[in-house]
Amino acid sequence: MSLSINNVTKRYRIRARKSVVNALNGITLSVEKGRTLGIVGESGCGKSTLARLIVGLEPPTEGSLLWSGSPLGQGVKNTIRSRHSKTQLVFQDPYSSLNPRQTIGACIAEVLKTHKLRDDVEINARVIELLGVVGIAADMQTRFPHQLSGGQRQRVAIARALAAEPELLVLDEPVSALDVSVRADVMNLLVDLKNKFNLTYIFISHDLSMVRHISDEIAVMYLGRIVEYGTWEEVLNNPKHPYTKALIESIPEHTNVRGIDFENVLEGEVPDPANLPQGCAFHLRCPLAAESCKLKVPELLNASKSHLVACPEVLK
Amino acid sequence: MSNLLEIKNLSVVISEDKRVLVNDVSFEIKPGEAVGVVGESGSGKTLSALSILGLLARGLKIETGEIRFKDADLLKCSAEDLRNIRGKEIAMIYQDPMTALNPVMKIGEQLQEVLDSHQHQISDQKAHILNGLAAVGIADPNRAFDSYPHEFSGGMRQRVMIAMSLLLSPELLIADEPTTALDVTIQRQILALVAKERKRRKMSMLWITHDLGVVANLVDRVIVMYAGRVVETGTVDEIFKAPKHPYTAGLLASLPAAGRDRERLESIPGVPPKPWQVLNTCAFAPRCKEARDICSSHRPELTSNNSSSVACFFPLGAKQ
Repeated sequence: MSLSINNVTKRYRIRARKSVVNALNGITLSVEKGRTLGIVGESGCGKSTLARLIVGLEPPTEGSLLWSGSPLGQGVKNTIRSRHSKTQLVFQDPYSSLNPRQTIGACIAEVLKTHKLRDDVEINARVIELLGVVGIAADMQTRFPHQLSGGQRQRVAIARALAAEPELLVLDEPVSALDVSVRADVMNLLVDLKNKFNLTYIFISHDLSMVRHISDEIAVMYLGRIVEYGTWEEVLNNPKHPYTKALIESIPEHTNVRGIDFENVLEGEVPDPANLPQGCAFHLRCPLAAESCKLKVPELLNASKSHLVACPEVLK
Repeated sequence: MSNLLEIKNLSVVISEDKRVLVNDVSFEIKPGEAVGVVGESGSGKTLSALSILGLLARGLKIETGEIRFKDADLLKCSAEDLRNIRGKEIAMIYQDPMTALNPVMKIGEQLQEVLDSHQHQISDQKAHILNGLAAVGIADPNRAFDSYPHEFSGGMRQRVMIAMSLLLSPELLIADEPTTALDVTIQRQILALVAKERKRRKMSMLWITHDLGVVANLVDRVIVMYAGRVVETGTVDEIFKAPKHPYTAGLLASLPAAGRDRERLESIPGVPPKPWQVLNTCAFAPRCKEARDICSSHRPELTSNNSSSVACFFPLGAKQ
């Protein structure tokens, strides 16, 4: 079993501006069962759009997404429901992703009812079991989200995702909204759950240190395309693409006091996704940019067996 | 060297019910020094900074304390005197430039407004504004002058904010998480810009953030806050290489970093308490590995030792 994303493109039409945003451009990826794929990139790179496509919240404009061979995100409504219990999404902000007027027990029970996963008499026991799995005491089930801390709320959101008995969990910035001192706890929980339930993870974040912590493979995205892909060690310890390098150099590390280089800073801004430059989208900011980069979008090619880079200049 | 800013025993409460949000906070900033205040949400770091400028929201009140800036006591001076200091001698940049800038006013007018509301010796004001915009890396200052904030990206808006704050060459720049909303490559540009301008102007800086990585790379000295109190201060090397407070140490150990174990993060159990719940004990005691009986019955005071200070009965690295 695996997730395969084949040449997926997603375009949004913006009527007011009479323009088209190319959120995703020919994304091809596969994730083996039991692995964690980390996706990093800055705002507008398409990482959250990809998350929505994987769980079927939206269909792709072109291309296909398959989970163990069956298509995701372009079926008929009724069948989506059963299919999508296999892929679940945990959102960034547990303050807005939980219904404020629903107790956390009812919130999880709703999933069990919707997917007809338990008979009515078994639902309460299952809710308590799921809360236990994420470390929330059974007597909390009558509480409302506002009575919980941020970390507890994110645990509930994770329990709700697990209620559907998914095989693939898409985690979109799952700890970014949490206080620093509770992030480690939630990260540890995610690692435990993955091992316990043999889950496959897509871990999306702009925080490279969290991605480094949890990922087996990493894909780096820039403006709707994958610019580098490989094992976490290949991508982070031996980055090839100039954008990946700049991204890694931009992370202020607390273990490296005064270590960040403020002299050689990557200049320029991320271009507007509705108005992409010709050729490689990164060429305007790239220290290696050659004439050919302005004309042709670089293909993702092998730098080694498992390491892919979309930059002809570093593959020379 | 005398201090540029000195905060002594500052306490901020909710006026209505006297619940304490900032509890007996003291620290100082020397001329030219960059100080980072680190803490989680609710630790009191932003309220401490807003108290300096007299900008606390309605409903909050400074209960006790003294804030000295050079010779002035900011808590006792008149609204007008404070207005003269604010923007001219002490400037502030905020987390979200979109809400800090006026959306219906051109950038140039907003910068002009800063000059209009203060006394200064600047003769060619428009040239001064254009120079200021150019200095923060805005490619076409003339165009920016006639643009509205929405025409800019987040990073560019933050540059405009910085240009505005530096217009009258303040001696102290207070920054409240100004890069939190930005992408990392843009964050690096802004940090580099701030570091450069600070050096050039020999300006003091108070940088408020929850991001320990930013602090480790930007400031000279660090103040760690927890549940409304200062729990540890020290030079950036002391704090990051030999933290003394178990909270600081725990926080640093909980963050993933290059070369660390990828399986398990050292987590701190529990959640931060509300400041008013822990007035007379160590606020961190319920989550602390080192805690003993005294920690939940008495409040550890901040005790100094050379350049550092710690509020803990059993600081790490001390002989026992």
